[in-house]
Amino acid sequence: MGDTGSDLLYDRSARTRFRLGFDRAIGWLLPLLFLVAILPILDMVYYVSIQALPHLTVQVLTTTSPYQIDALRVPIVSTLYMMTLATALAVVFGLFGGVATAEILPERLAGHVRTSANLLAGTPSVAFGYFGYFAFVIAFGWGLSFIAGALTLAFFMTPYIFRTADLAFTSVPRHIREAALGSGASPSQYIVRVATPIAFPQILTGVFLAMAIGVGETAPIWLTTTPGVLVPQNWTAPVTVLTELIWENFASPAGSGLQTLAWQAAFLLLVVVVALNIVVRLFAWRYQKRLEGLYQ
Amino acid sequence: MFGVLVYACKLTLLPDFFSMQWDPPANQWGVGVFVAGSFITAVPALILSMAIGLGIAIASTTYLPRFVSRLLDPFVDLLAGIPSVVYGIWAFIVVGPVLGKVINPWVFAHFHTVPGFGAPEGSELGTGLPLALIVLTLMALPITTLLIRDALRSVPKDLWESGLALGATRWEVTRRVAIPYSLRGIVSAAFLGFGRAFGETVAVAMVIGSIPALPDNAYAPTYTIAAAMFQLLDSSFSDHQFLVVLTEMALVLMVITLVVNLVGRRLISNLTHFDVPGL
Amino acid sequence: MSDSLSENGGPVLAVDRLTVRAKEKAIIDHISLDFLPRSLTAFVGPSGCGKTTFIRSLNRMVELTPGLSVDGEVRYLGQNIYDRTVNPVMVRRRIGMVFQRPTVFPMSIYENAAFGLRLVHEEEEVVDRAVAEALHRAGLWDEVKDDLDRSALSLSGGQAQRLCIARALAVKPRVLLLDEPTSALDPAATQRVEDTIQRLKEEIVLVLVTHNVRQAARVSDRVAFLHSGRLIEVGPTAEVLERPREALTEQFITGRFK
Repeated sequence: MGDTGSDLLYDRSARTRFRLGFDRAIGWLLPLLFLVAILPILDMVYYVSIQALPHLTVQVLTTTSPYQIDALRVPIVSTLYMMTLATALAVVFGLFGGVATAEILPERLAGHVRTSANLLAGTPSVAFGYFGYFAFVIAFGWGLSFIAGALTLAFFMTPYIFRTADLAFTSVPRHIREAALGSGASPSQYIVRVATPIAFPQILTGVFLAMAIGVGETAPIWLTTTPGVLVPQNWTAPVTVLTELIWENFASPAGSGLQTLAWQAAFLLLVVVVALNIVVRLFAWRYQKRLEGLYQ
Repeated sequence: MFGVLVYACKLTLLPDFFSMQWDPPANQWGVGVFVAGSFITAVPALILSMAIGLGIAIASTTYLPRFVSRLLDPFVDLLAGIPSVVYGIWAFIVVGPVLGKVINPWVFAHFHTVPGFGAPEGSELGTGLPLALIVLTLMALPITTLLIRDALRSVPKDLWESGLALGATRWEVTRRVAIPYSLRGIVSAAFLGFGRAFGETVAVAMVIGSIPALPDNAYAPTYTIAAAMFQLLDSSFSDHQFLVVLTEMALVLMVITLVVNLVGRRLISNLTHFDVPGL
Repeated sequence: MSDSLSENGGPVLAVDRLTVRAKEKAIIDHISLDFLPRSLTAFVGPSGCGKTTFIRSLNRMVELTPGLSVDGEVRYLGQNIYDRTVNPVMVRRRIGMVFQRPTVFPMSIYENAAFGLRLVHEEEEVVDRAVAEALHRAGLWDEVKDDLDRSALSLSGGQAQRLCIARALAVKPRVLLLDEPTSALDPAATQRVEDTIQRLKEEIVLVLVTHNVRQAARVSDRVAFLHSGRLIEVGPTAEVLERPREALTEQFITGRFK
């Protein structure tokens, strides 16, 4: 029965028709699943824009008045301060660690460090928040402060930068490495003058990525700082970041200025995150081409 | 440097343990509730996101022409980059009411004889288990899709073609050859996706209704470890015991996440993508 | 029911002005050729001459490569396989293929061989018999008969390749396409596979692509020489290899043979 004996190419037993039909059906059905992912994004963008844009005037962005209504300037600037500090710290930690792991540490230790970094990268940000709370707020005695928040966020972002730096340095083509060391350069000279320029684009990509992740985080900051009305004046000041703003106000009565504020903050965040992601993608793509040139 | 950090985390949490007794769920703050809540939300979300992710990955690698999948894949990846708070506010304000006013009552009307779908407790806001599930599924989706996609792509072309050359349809080759071959990657996707769903904090906190009790039925609000940790820290400052408990919870969260991630990573020896947060 | 189409002396496979193009450039240029029952035709030629593309167009595998267009006909027992109403899945049951590298599936030896069968049949005895028969024909039976449930991944290269042959044979195709089946194997394994091929040519139509002219000399009845997508010369093995008519053929062969 069935096909094994038949030579006709057109013979369609029931079974065959089923098989072919099923395959075709699946071919239409599965791609539809993409919609599950795409529709929410579109919907989100749509809603955020609808709610945020009508009221988003330049004035809203720049007034400094008590941050409750109609003023985003303080949170925006606060976010900027926070991100700058956190990113700077994260870059220092991550780069240092990454280079050390890629070049200096012995293999076994390097393996453990990498695993730790990967595990840290996958750890929920709340855990970092608690860590930061105990470490910086209590143990170091700074209290709920801007610096605590920035440091905690920095620690959260570091694994990502670490990974990128590690990867960037280890993927410097071997022959270049050997050529440099072979012509008498010391390891540190090699690192600074040869490897870094090559690894740079990749590291930059990683930094942008970490920023995209960091700017959207709430927990590490919320748990280590106290909400503030002004842009942080000094290291120990209270501070409020855009993400926190959303958290505080999202449940406010609809149509009230507060909820709109939350939407607007969401809008800004989305713009920033999407922009950063696009930059990252572009960089990664450009970098690929460059790397191909290097391997000749 | 990072091994040190991990230990530092644990060490800093440990000093608060000396007055710890492992609270049984009978006690005032039964940690069990939160653990259960975390699992009740994360497990179904994982199953859903694996199913959808599998489908999308198969569609992307097998059925869609190259340029289409190249166009659509980034959308899924974008899902990963959206901040939790934005997910939360969208889900709360946009999806919640639909759930609360339209879907839940409909489900109740049609399925209330099925155990578990009894009296709807959910408010018109729609917050509670279902909303959390939706949010978590969406957030885990990029991870599962990406990993499964990579796993499927790593099937050697020869193997694939051999399957086709025997007169199998694309689906048959996928199901009988490609998936068994890439099982490791798929299982790893499950673990890492679970890790994400389990640890997600802010978005969940915004939509889950924040009631520390086991849900009576399919629509009820509840609480998860992460969400509780996030929301309750403030109120714990005055009460040392409270703080200790919360810290224990943090430790539990960390341990579970660590184990899950460890297992998930062991299964794939090298990662080629770092652009998904939470990976 | 199907006997009206089976061998009545006519060619099993008839290629008629087959042309495969990639963006205006012809990779296969108007090749016409017949394949008679119980024969082995070897295709040789310099790299890039299109022999792999050619063999892949005999079972519509060429469609898997994007950007190629196919003109002309390939007729299996009189039916054009490229006809719009024919589904490639049907074609590939009748025209099997073995690839360059042994591509065993990650399952047991038995399951590998049974793969094609299971897609259509479910009854155990039918599958059992067919698997045993295929393994015999591929010359692998004696080596694996005691442990068919062993994972196929534990087989040596030569054994794995013979398993692939068995797998393809299990669905009883009339044509078997072999794309450089021994280039990844050591000499001993190559020998075994060649023995198998020699036996099989008494039963079905075999089309072999090889870069090894000596191999062509050893096993084939007929040799076809391809160059830049065109069929330069085809004829009985001894004639083509020792007394080639075309200059190109001679150049190619003397570069490798003598």
